[in-house]
Amino acid sequence: MSKIIELKDVVKSFGGTRAVDGLSLSLEEGGVLGFLGTNGAGKTTTIKMILGLLSPDEGTVSVLGGNPADPSVRAGLGYLPEAAYYYPLLDAPEVLAFYGRMSGMDESTIAERTEDLLEDVGLAHDAWNRPLKTYSKGMLQRVGIAQALVHNPKLLVLDEPFTGLDPLARRRFRQLIMRYRDAGGSVIFSSHDLSEAELICDSVAILRRGRIVFSGARNDLAGDASVNLERLFLSKLAESGDEEAKEALK
Amino acid sequence: MRLFLRQLGALVRLSFLDLYRRKDLVTVGALALALLVPLAALRPFGVAGADRYVGEVAMGLIWLFSLVIAIALGARQFPPEFESRTIYPLLARPVGRSTVLLGKYLGAFLAAVSATALFYVLFAVYRGSTGSGWFPSVLWQGFVLHVCALAVAVALSMTLSLAVTMSANLAFSAIAVFGMFIWGGRLPELAVNSPLPAKIALDVVYAIAPHFEFFDLRQRIVHSWDCVGVGVMLVVVAYAVLCSAALLSIAALLFRKRKV
Repeated sequence: MSKIIELKDVVKSFGGTRAVDGLSLSLEEGGVLGFLGTNGAGKTTTIKMILGLLSPDEGTVSVLGGNPADPSVRAGLGYLPEAAYYYPLLDAPEVLAFYGRMSGMDESTIAERTEDLLEDVGLAHDAWNRPLKTYSKGMLQRVGIAQALVHNPKLLVLDEPFTGLDPLARRRFRQLIMRYRDAGGSVIFSSHDLSEAELICDSVAILRRGRIVFSGARNDLAGDASVNLERLFLSKLAESGDEEAKEALK
Repeated sequence: MRLFLRQLGALVRLSFLDLYRRKDLVTVGALALALLVPLAALRPFGVAGADRYVGEVAMGLIWLFSLVIAIALGARQFPPEFESRTIYPLLARPVGRSTVLLGKYLGAFLAAVSATALFYVLFAVYRGSTGSGWFPSVLWQGFVLHVCALAVAVALSMTLSLAVTMSANLAFSAIAVFGMFIWGGRLPELAVNSPLPAKIALDVVYAIAPHFEFFDLRQRIVHSWDCVGVGVMLVVVAYAVLCSAALLSIAALLFRKRKV
């Protein structure tokens, strides 16, 4: 299996602060990687480098076999940002059409995909032609998921994808990710919601202060019934010196 | 090329939807009509030349509203994208930053031109109904140079939007645009009669600020004078193109360096 994402010894600093410090990470094709860490651990910086929005100071970032700073490589990427507010005066089909055109899709494909996707993400029909400024947070998140998928990307990059979703919507989205994975897509998602990560990811990377403190397949833990993702998360942070994690494990 | 054109088209369409779905243009249009219709219906002092007075007021308002629209459109291409975080899914698409900049510029510019064209049509209908000719050549020429002014105004406010806050941008842009429009031609005269430090400052402003007064043919339109020569027209158009290109180059640099 080829590597869809490969980061090697990546360093990124902002001023005097190392946001990412010698990070190495990979994702196999068809995999779902849960990218976990505390606030300020460097997850968003890493995601921005995967998307080509930031360049590493040191190390290499390879996505879909190329440099993500190259626009043609990003044709295979779909991105859901955390808490984005999409164009308030447009309605949902118009937003999807805009992003579809920006990805080079033709009009007939956009029209087909729009209806299917809005159904898949569970956006109520009576909301389709209302401007996005009237949408709730959960509805905006559904539009966000749809725009990430509209152009059939090979890799989905999701930043806090379950934010604002009710339990039914979460279930629907989980199923969407599983169908996407089964159809050959790869997913990396960053989340604080360990319960959701536990249900869908098949590998996990835990980040603390810009460094990976744990990276492995969920299957490796399958034999140990006492290890759930939350416990794993806390124990790895504790091992790397996080005092709050040590307290939480007592 | 096909992808590039499709992306430009999508960005231009976004700007049009933004302009026409906001209430701003409707408000501006309503205000313009509220001011012009009573004036047009009036015949002050029963004097035949009074319609020229109305024409002057109308052209003044057209310039005021169109430049305000152009500055506002340029100013809000980027800041809302950064604030609402829509810049991330946009730049995560297979699109370069320069394409995004060009698409947003064209969108804001064409949207401003469409609003201005509407004002010119209303003006032409008014002038035609008073017997001054429906669409004289000088009106077309004035419209073309007005469009050139809009190109520079949009480029200026878009560039500033990548460097300063929205309120600072609107203030600087308004001062630069309307300041040069009203006083640009008088700066050399002011400089000559000023003490040295002020003279240098005025000379610098005259040298680097965009000269919006170059595009102003209001007097020719209102008084039905002859058109300016083709050579002059071409030089002014070339000046607008160079000015806009210079500003957009600065904008491209600022956007490239901007952390997202």
